[in-house]
Amino acid sequence: MNGQNGHKSVLVIGGGIAGIQASLDLANMGFKVYLVEKSPSIGGRMAQLDKTFPTNDCAMCILAPRMIEANSHSNIDLYTYSEVEDVSGEVSDFKVKIKRNSPFVDWSKCTGCGLCEEGCPVILPKEFDQGLGKRKAIFIPFPQAVPKKYTVDKREERPCKAACMDACPAHTNVLGYIKLIAEGEFQEAYKLIRDTNPLPASVGRVCYAPCEEACNRGQIDEPMAIRDLKRFAADQVNIEELEVPTVTKTDKKVAIVGSGPAGLAAANDLALKGHDVTIFEALPESGGMLRVGIPEYRLPKEILRKEIGYIQKLGVEIRTGVQVGKDIALEEIRGNYDALFIAAGAHGGMRLRMEGEELPGVIEGIRFLRAVNLGEKVEVGKKTAVIGGGNTAVDCARTAKRLGAEEVKIVYRRSRSEMPASAEETAAVEEEGIPIEFLTTPTRFFPGNGKLARMECVKMKLGEPDASGRPRPIPIEGSEFTTSVDTVIAALGQAPETEFVKEFGVSLSKRGMIEIDPETGATNIEGVFAGGDVVTGPAFVIDAIAAGKRAAHSIDRHLKGEPIEVKEEGKEPEKLSEEEVEDRKKRFPSQKRVRLRDEPIGERIKDFREVSLGYTVEEAIEEASRCLAGQIEGCIECHECAKRCEANAIAYTMQDEHIEIDVGAIILATGLDLYDVSPLTEYGYGKIKNVVTAIEFERLTAASGPTFGELKRPSDGKIPHAIAFIQCVGSRDFKHKAYCSSVCCMHATKEAILAYEHHPGTKSTIFYMDLRAVGKRFQEYVTRAKEEYNVTYIRSRPGRVAVNPENQNPIVWYEDTTTTETKNMEVDLVVLCQAMTPRGSKELAEMLGIELNEYGFVEVPDKLSHPVDSTRPGIFACGYVHSPRDIPDSVTQGSGAAARAAEVIAGGS
Amino acid sequence: MNLEDIIQETKTYYCLECGKCSSLCPISRYDPQYSPRVMVENALLGLEDEIVYNKKLFSCLTCYTCQLKCPSDVDYPLFIQKARVLATAAGQHGDYAHSGTLQSIAMLMARSPLKQNRLEWLKKDGYRTSEKSDVMLFIGCSPYFEPVFEDIPMRTLNIAEASLKVLNSLGIEPLVHPDERCCGHDALWMGDVETFKKLAEHNATVIKESGVKKVIFFCPECYRTFKLDYPNYVKLDCEVMHISELLAQRLETEGLRFNEVKRKVTYQDPCRLGRHLGIYDAPRKVLQAIPGIELVEMEHNREESICCGTSCFTNCDSYSKQIRVERLLEAKATGAETLITSCPKCQTHFRCAMVNKGEEKGPDIEIELMDLVNLVATSLGG
Repeated sequence: MNGQNGHKSVLVIGGGIAGIQASLDLANMGFKVYLVEKSPSIGGRMAQLDKTFPTNDCAMCILAPRMIEANSHSNIDLYTYSEVEDVSGEVSDFKVKIKRNSPFVDWSKCTGCGLCEEGCPVILPKEFDQGLGKRKAIFIPFPQAVPKKYTVDKREERPCKAACMDACPAHTNVLGYIKLIAEGEFQEAYKLIRDTNPLPASVGRVCYAPCEEACNRGQIDEPMAIRDLKRFAADQVNIEELEVPTVTKTDKKVAIVGSGPAGLAAANDLALKGHDVTIFEALPESGGMLRVGIPEYRLPKEILRKEIGYIQKLGVEIRTGVQVGKDIALEEIRGNYDALFIAAGAHGGMRLRMEGEELPGVIEGIRFLRAVNLGEKVEVGKKTAVIGGGNTAVDCARTAKRLGAEEVKIVYRRSRSEMPASAEETAAVEEEGIPIEFLTTPTRFFPGNGKLARMECVKMKLGEPDASGRPRPIPIEGSEFTTSVDTVIAALGQAPETEFVKEFGVSLSKRGMIEIDPETGATNIEGVFAGGDVVTGPAFVIDAIAAGKRAAHSIDRHLKGEPIEVKEEGKEPEKLSEEEVEDRKKRFPSQKRVRLRDEPIGERIKDFREVSLGYTVEEAIEEASRCLAGQIEGCIECHECAKRCEANAIAYTMQDEHIEIDVGAIILATGLDLYDVSPLTEYGYGKIKNVVTAIEFERLTAASGPTFGELKRPSDGKIPHAIAFIQCVGSRDFKHKAYCSSVCCMHATKEAILAYEHHPGTKSTIFYMDLRAVGKRFQEYVTRAKEEYNVTYIRSRPGRVAVNPENQNPIVWYEDTTTTETKNMEVDLVVLCQAMTPRGSKELAEMLGIELNEYGFVEVPDKLSHPVDSTRPGIFACGYVHSPRDIPDSVTQGSGAAARAAEVIAGGS
Repeated sequence: MNLEDIIQETKTYYCLECGKCSSLCPISRYDPQYSPRVMVENALLGLEDEIVYNKKLFSCLTCYTCQLKCPSDVDYPLFIQKARVLATAAGQHGDYAHSGTLQSIAMLMARSPLKQNRLEWLKKDGYRTSEKSDVMLFIGCSPYFEPVFEDIPMRTLNIAEASLKVLNSLGIEPLVHPDERCCGHDALWMGDVETFKKLAEHNATVIKESGVKKVIFFCPECYRTFKLDYPNYVKLDCEVMHISELLAQRLETEGLRFNEVKRKVTYQDPCRLGRHLGIYDAPRKVLQAIPGIELVEMEHNREESICCGTSCFTNCDSYSKQIRVERLLEAKATGAETLITSCPKCQTHFRCAMVNKGEEKGPDIEIELMDLVNLVATSLGG
């Protein structure tokens, strides 16, 4: 004999009740035990049961203390989520290789708090509930799991690079919310978006969607319609009825200048941290450029109002009509608040600087939009020209059209490919009958009757690139021409108006924009932060939101007196390599992007109704199902869990671990599998909704089950008042499993009693072959079922379950073998007592070199003298893998196997 | 052979008396007192008279529904077949439909020599047959059934004609033998082993002398009999095949050029072809290969198909009728225009149910009926 400790230790395979019993017995004798369990928790089948027969004790109440004891016993090394890979050697000196599957969570850090699970967007069938309930990709198998540690169910590599999330300035969890939409979980999708973006409905309409440009699906066929899906998710939610979270208040006050996207995003995050937030807004309405810069037909005011309303419900106060620097001094604000965030935007227009600019009829684009958006009376002439090529120019032109201008055109000095407006917007404007005159710019305006009458333009050609990188437009000499025009809208750009911060000492750039540390949002003055257009000049909504969030993070740390550290941001969006693109093309069939439908052109230009109609539920699910990340089973690596985990326990790069141990003996206790009953087509399982298996029924009665212990039938949630239990489904059947599964007579009796206890009066019928009530107090249990719980036993094996199409009631056909009459019985629910088979015995038997009987149970050569010994010395078996048996028998056998193993390892000394 | 031998041979002693057979039996559903389980139980109890003199012994459709699901794997249809031999020996028989005409025809055919005019139908069209062919098309009783079921109206020869047409379009010029006889299926299943033996021996001789290597059947009963029963009595040195199998095989190897037939159809699995021989896919493959055909399944299909209600033209009663009505209603519920089957007898029985509705206002069970080969012939022809 060799080895040292190996002699005194035992490997137990399987953490069900038999394995736990054997482990504890051996550990208490002072031997070292390695308990290996394949799933992330011990507990086995017993954990799934509601009650145990014949005492009707709560299964978990008996089991849980044993599980905890096994986990905390100093002599037991518990390896869950692990598998035995190889066994060599012989009795007293086995060498065992164990593979510890990576849970992708550092279990030494995980506290089992469950924050990760809440955010996980991947919904999978819950094994513990036989698929009747759902779990997330990061999960614990059941609430009482031991160890209470989370596991990431990661099965495949994500087929894309999640470039969308890196491209998004706010790093919205795009993968996650698209997955949730594909799963039909729209509310959850909205919540997930709102975590990084407090204005999903607005952004879902107006975002420039850099995510879509980066989307890796775009390399395969077409990018995902990410923005439209965001809008869809937001439109499924009644924002006004959203729950408002309760937050613990700090006593800190923050002032924000400007209620645009940057100010609102910062206010939202700060309010959620418990700070008091007041926003000062110069305009009569809140929302900044979202409110006054974007026309109603792109973003209905009502939607924005609701989103701002929710932020107000979080405790944010918005004082509109208060212009800082005029109505109130910045200094005064600073004195009354603990921190200040300046997000005043860029509301100043740019001048044309040319003759006739002051004429009535010439108006700045941004002023024009603001006036229209604030409901002021704005008149446009019959002939309107819009100068500029950006989104504002397009917005102005389409707005002018809707205000009744007969001829609207856009005049732009470069060519189509240089237009800053999005291709989508450009297409829309042309669809609406608004031409764009490229390579043209105005030079002068001429009056007539005291107002604008004509405009002189010059044709341009493109020259060398200028500072912006675009080719410089150069006037073509002598190409001047004049056209008659009533209104000119000059949409040349916007600039921040930062006069009011000057005297306060905030440092400004040469171009008049506030200078900040781009990573923290801090200005040169302590406690004063800035972000959004006032810092960057005119940019996009989502950039402003990102800036607001970044500043809020810094402000929160500042208020807590913590050093302002830079929040970890994403990396550059990555592309799929050429090989990867080819591979994905092979794996995933090409599928066209689902396009949004618009209001018909003729109708929509009549008023300011929203142009885009949004997705229907079917369209949204179809589009969401295209996402490459969603093509895989299990975790999609959106890293939401990592973001939420306060213990920093998520470890995506964790590898499987392989360990080797020496043991003197091995106990096999892998338990049972449930026999697939679908080949027994006569019972309609899988086809008739109200036909369930006994283990499913067990989950439907258990408090930890999918219905929280309310016994309801699957088809319509109705309470089943008449239940039929069919015994021997697959057992005692030459065509399936010829043996008796041993426990069904009794568990059916127990389940019938439970049904009655859930709903007194329930009528249960148990169709049995021979009632095998062989155990202490079992016969009395059956008698009680008959006498006290309205249970009838009929000796017959039904041959057919039909269905009443009107109420989905199953109809059981059977021969009453006492009267020899063939009958049928309509019930509310049919419970099939399916056969049970030894679990994993085939693979393990090969590895362990033991023999199995014809049904796969462990072969026991000497059933009378050595009833737990396999065909190989030093290897023992207990529980269902040994032979069909109930819990008390399994426990007894567990102790038996432990005793035999102890005999071996203590032997001879 | 006595009852004990039958029990041994069919392993009825495994019976657990669970009654699953009864609850599956199409007869028991309408005749609650008909219990296959009791029949077996009586045998196990040695109550021979309860079996031999039981009129319901001849009610069993031998459809194999019970056998396929019996947990003890008892071959009840075989048990019935053997028990009927005992009953026949005791002078018992079932209630013959059509005044026993069809039984008489079989018995007449068992006489040798016999002058038959089996080939008259071949004369009218341009069918190609060959006396020297390797392949024989077995026609069976079709020429005899033709006049019997004229009033339903069921044209059994139509199926024979279509089968020949189909074989011709596959490039096969088969032998159609002038002196083949009834396959003996009904005689065997009714317990008349003597008649069956004579017919089997005659057919075996005829086939051997003709030198064919393959016999094609369009009737699943003939096919089953040749494939499963003949080997127990005679030596047959040739391959046997149902025409749907041949078509499916051709589809796979060479493909078939079908013309479009726009029709929504459903398919009745004949018990001999389906449950007896396990051929469910071949006819479906053929149907699905025809452009324009939309195949919709009835609620009970394949193994679970409901029988056409009568076997061997015996004990055809009100229960048989109810089974047919149930099946035809299932067919109608699919929304199919046509109920396709590949057994002439299924079709005969369904037609009978539709014609003999009587005076009572029953449910609407009218549906177009057609044999698979007729559909294929239409689609291949042109």
